[in-house]
Amino acid sequence: MLHSRRHATAAIATIAMLTTGEHAVAQSTSELETRLEAGATTSSHVGSIPLSAFALTPGFRYASPRMTASARASALLGLSQWQLGNSAAALEAYTPLLYGVRAEVAANASRLFHDQSVQNDQLDAEGRLHFMRQRAGIWLGSGVARPLRVAAVSNVNVSSGGVWTRVGAATLRGSVTSFFFTKIAFDDTLVDNSPAVCSTRLAAPTGASGPTGMRALVAEAAVGNACRHQSRLTDLEGTVRWEHKLGELTLRGGQRFGDRLDVNSDSRHWASAQAAVWITNQIAAVAGGGREPAQPTRGLPARSFGSVGLMLAYWPIPRGNVLVETPASLVHSFEVRAAGTALQRLTARIGGVETVEIMGDFTDWSPVPLIRRGRDAWELLVPMSPGVHQINIRIDGGQWIAPPGVPSLKDGFNGEVGVLVVNP
Amino acid sequence: MSALSLRRVAWSASLVALPVVVGAQDSVVPNRGIDPLSRLNESTRYSIELLFDSAKVAGLPTWPLESKALEGITKRADGRRIVAAVRLVFRSLREARSALGPGATNDELTAAAGALSVGITTDELARLVKSRHEKQLTYPLVVLSDLITRGVPRDTASQTIFQLWQRGASDDDFQGLWRGVERDIVSGTDPGVALLNRAREIPSRGPPTAPPASGARPERSENPNP
Repeated sequence: MLHSRRHATAAIATIAMLTTGEHAVAQSTSELETRLEAGATTSSHVGSIPLSAFALTPGFRYASPRMTASARASALLGLSQWQLGNSAAALEAYTPLLYGVRAEVAANASRLFHDQSVQNDQLDAEGRLHFMRQRAGIWLGSGVARPLRVAAVSNVNVSSGGVWTRVGAATLRGSVTSFFFTKIAFDDTLVDNSPAVCSTRLAAPTGASGPTGMRALVAEAAVGNACRHQSRLTDLEGTVRWEHKLGELTLRGGQRFGDRLDVNSDSRHWASAQAAVWITNQIAAVAGGGREPAQPTRGLPARSFGSVGLMLAYWPIPRGNVLVETPASLVHSFEVRAAGTALQRLTARIGGVETVEIMGDFTDWSPVPLIRRGRDAWELLVPMSPGVHQINIRIDGGQWIAPPGVPSLKDGFNGEVGVLVVNP
Repeated sequence: MSALSLRRVAWSASLVALPVVVGAQDSVVPNRGIDPLSRLNESTRYSIELLFDSAKVAGLPTWPLESKALEGITKRADGRRIVAAVRLVFRSLREARSALGPGATNDELTAAAGALSVGITTDELARLVKSRHEKQLTYPLVVLSDLITRGVPRDTASQTIFQLWQRGASDDDFQGLWRGVERDIVSGTDPGVALLNRAREIPSRGPPTAPPASGARPERSENPNP
């Protein structure tokens, strides 16, 4: 019965952690990052002895404007033997931006490990539409998760939405993730010390349905006071990530909404923090701790955790060295051509943006918007006398940059300015 | 409302909208009605006006200084940084004038000031002037400044541009060189190596010759936006 009750707990948060938030910031350069963490970790949940272990966690992440691939796995050394701990592999692919919107698909495989008796695997996939600007974005998504060897009878339908913004060195994210799935519940299930009531009696199993290992559970439940319970729960989560050359800090907090058969009181709120302080360019001291909510579809209870250790990080592709998509490279072409006496026609091809502005000595450094002439065509006629002129361009109200295709100079204000030579 | 009235309203609306649409297609003319430096605080403005006066006394154009100040205002730089940037332009123009001599055009002065600001010396400028043969130095200097900004070692850039200039490279040659080097740098080639490789592709054209009289560039007016 205990086994059944544990498997009948509701909701999940890992999908939200894996599929929302972290991906939201648009990648501006290709980057390969490898990390190896070594240190002590401890975790505990109600009804179990706290597990303390030495953890070795290698991981990598490759990100480009079109895709992100990452994997991470923990090896735990507890009772003098190695054990596979939390592990995850994720793959995301993105379409090019079109009018600021891109489509994203994500697939994840993950394993969560609390202790020898509480562990679980899951596959999930999600599609999203993401509207992005340079410093903010909003996304909506929908997907499905397939937990293995647990009490969720059906797949888990996941709907998510969220916003993100950058404020200085910090990235703020907020997400709402809704989970809908069917699980097996019991009339005598105690939720927060009071009995829950089944609304729909469970019929005897008629065929092979549900995830692997579920048929036996359904058969066992059919002889008791069991029912199929349709669970819905919603997670509201906020994350702040702050990156500085000396360290990284991630704060996460959330609130879960749902009826009491799906959400235990110990999973209504959660909060955690992770910090890394760089000792050298490649070695950092890391520490973290907090509370994670229960993951009902995976049969995992809420737990507290803490860790401290050292991280070795290495970037085989140096950060920022491979330019893939910067504001300048969004500009597919930029041309200046004579258009009559003392007039020049500026044309640019820039797809997926809302506004393009230029300024220069010929506009007295007042920003002037270009006029959209097609899906990615922008144009403006400007009076420009023959000679040397300086020009800047900006996209969607972002930074002023030197337009590509013309020589540039430092502007004296921590930026660059393009130099045009207009022939008579 | 009758169909006739609706049509009248539509016509009136289109007549009102037409100048707006035509205006949107029209060229951009800067509005100089309001003193643009009025956005500066008093002490910053005073320092900048002193630099304007110094430029006038030295016979230098003041519009590059004014332009730099306006650029700083729009880019929301603080007053001290704007004054520093304008002062750098003034000094560079003054040094450029002494290196290029009184016969230099305003465009050449501006381009030379840019080259000085990235580390080219007055001696190197003077060396280019000696072999100019009445040809405009503007484009080679613009390319030289850009190459140094992109990471080509100063000496390599200066030496290579000087050699090409002596070999009679044209503005088109310099433009082609710049495009090639830019492409190579983006592809990951070392900037210095990229420049040397691309420079080898430019054929020798003999010593620089003066452009035909019809192509001579007029002296630039004080105000770039008359």
